Amino acid sequence: MNSDGKDLRTIIPDLREIPLAELAKLGGSPLAQSITLYRKRLQDQRVPRNSFQAGT
Amino acid sequence: MITEHRLPWAEFESLAAGAGGLDAIGSLRNGQRSLHTMLLHMISRLATGADPEAAAFRDGWELLGRLQLEGAHDWLLDLPHLGGWAHYGLAGIEDGNVKGLSHFAVMAAAAAIRSGTPFELGVPVRDGRVVLPGLGFLEVTTDSRWIRLRCDGDTVNVGGHFEADRRLLVPDDGSGPPVPHWSGTPLVRAVADGLTWQVLLEAEYPYLDYRLPPMPAQWAAGALEKWRKRIQLAWEVLIRHHSWAAVPMANAVSVVVPLVAERKNDRISATSPAAFGAIATSWPPDPVIMAETMVHEFQHVKLGALMSLIPLTEPSDKLEYAPWRLDPRPADALLHGIYAHLGIALFWGAQQEIETDPDDILRARVQYARWRSVIEPTTRALMQAGCLTEDGRRFADRLCVRAAELTAVPVPGTALSMAAEAALDHRLTWQLRHQAIDVGATADLASAYRRGEPGPGPELPRSWTDRRDVRPVEAGLRSRLLAMRYLTPGRYRKKVEKADHADGLLLAGKSKKAIRAYRDRIISSLDPQPAAWIGLALALNQVPDEPFKNIFATQLALIFDIHGHLGSEDGLRDPIHLARWLT
Repeated sequence: MNSDGKDLRTIIPDLREIPLAELAKLGGSPLAQSITLYRKRLQDQRVPRNSFQAGT
Repeated sequence: MITEHRLPWAEFESLAAGAGGLDAIGSLRNGQRSLHTMLLHMISRLATGADPEAAAFRDGWELLGRLQLEGAHDWLLDLPHLGGWAHYGLAGIEDGNVKGLSHFAVMAAAAAIRSGTPFELGVPVRDGRVVLPGLGFLEVTTDSRWIRLRCDGDTVNVGGHFEADRRLLVPDDGSGPPVPHWSGTPLVRAVADGLTWQVLLEAEYPYLDYRLPPMPAQWAAGALEKWRKRIQLAWEVLIRHHSWAAVPMANAVSVVVPLVAERKNDRISATSPAAFGAIATSWPPDPVIMAETMVHEFQHVKLGALMSLIPLTEPSDKLEYAPWRLDPRPADALLHGIYAHLGIALFWGAQQEIETDPDDILRARVQYARWRSVIEPTTRALMQAGCLTEDGRRFADRLCVRAAELTAVPVPGTALSMAAEAALDHRLTWQLRHQAIDVGATADLASAYRRGEPGPGPELPRSWTDRRDVRPVEAGLRSRLLAMRYLTPGRYRKKVEKADHADGLLLAGKSKKAIRAYRDRIISSLDPQPAAWIGLALALNQVPDEPFKNIFATQLALIFDIHGHLGSEDGLRDPIHLARWLT
């Protein structure tokens, strides 16, 4: 629990128990909101690579 | 009813402190499974046309649905290859490009072959191979770009050309006999103290290439065996001395991508938030360095997964100083770097207690001293920049608490001063490169100095961070020697004689002579001498109670720029005199 007394909410819907064939029927659901949000994040930040280089 | 994933506060706090046990890794993995499902669903909504690439994707998607009903699809959702590919696939199809979508068919086929699920699919052939991600590849002789794979649960029929027992289509751990038409992906099974780390060596998978040079497609003779041994020895270091990182890492990291560094003494390593569970690295020079690299990169793996679940940074154009890079970094990259260096500090903090060779002890102590000291100030700078979300600020607060705990641990003075000097050299090099200062204001100050007017007091010209190199300055031999002095002391002892006169004095601790030498060089040269200015600042910093060390350490770029406006008048070219005027 956090300082507000709650677990942290994430932006990813829990899809583990949902049959894949059912996903297409969930257009107006939190899944659609998460998709919109994730797409925006990809547009804003792309998928960065964390690279490290050292030489002596 | 769909609900979002939730992360228990204790797991969040444990991750923020640099650790994160098996529970936290389990939560991150569960989130990645849903994220990968969501990405595939996003692609499936767009992969609708008659193009064979889109059709192959849909067949794979249908097969994954069947695997899910059998409880056999988590293996694929956990495979780093899937996340790596899905981000490329989604970006491509959103631009209207279906090329590469058929790759998902071989992913689903690999999962079905592994679980013994019957299927029939058309899959792409590339360079005479049908790649089965996470398993290996089939060699086929065909001119066609496509081939049908059919599996009855036991046997895989490859386009009618040959059949293979699906139980033999597995990664190659080096123990089994050759399988006709099959090359298993090299698998390393490292065992130490009864604990096992299984990891694939994925040298040529296109969606895990990190845009860095990968290994050549063919393993050179003996190279694979060398990697197996190095991973085994690194695992022994990790499990015996860094179990806080080793146990969760072995649970999460299933792929190592070997890279080739451009130069012999360079090391490169990388991760991508898209590919949870994969770490790329060039050949590590010894098992301890490999262990450190794994700890370092595993920090990125954890944070990447966490940030895909819970945004910790806000989109921002602000750039900040990162004490480990010579380019300014945006907020998310800076937070990644901070977190990675917390892991590095924890690693060397433990390592300094177990090393026995004097050079290795020195390396561990200085590495510990150097990286623990940057975590809190860099995190505070990030917080002050206003680039963190509310959860990001909570994460940063916990990071700072952990950093303070590390900073309280005593370290011998020699190691502390070596670490501080390397850090100052880095910061000053960055400052000269990227701290831009109002040109008109510095010219006005130069005029005032020339006219003998009083100094400006606390009101200094406006400055800002510039992504470009503002002044031409290289991290040259002195910077390399300052790092070599503790990273590879044996090499340092051979190379230090190549340092120029002033740098040699600095490195020998002859501070006052070094100050004179750098000062003379700046006064006598009409060309800018950024390396000499940094050297002068370092030499001043070596002298206790030196009155100008602080202004050189914090305002070097300003003094340098004003000096550049002064021209060739001898009486005006003394950098110390100029610093006194500014103080």
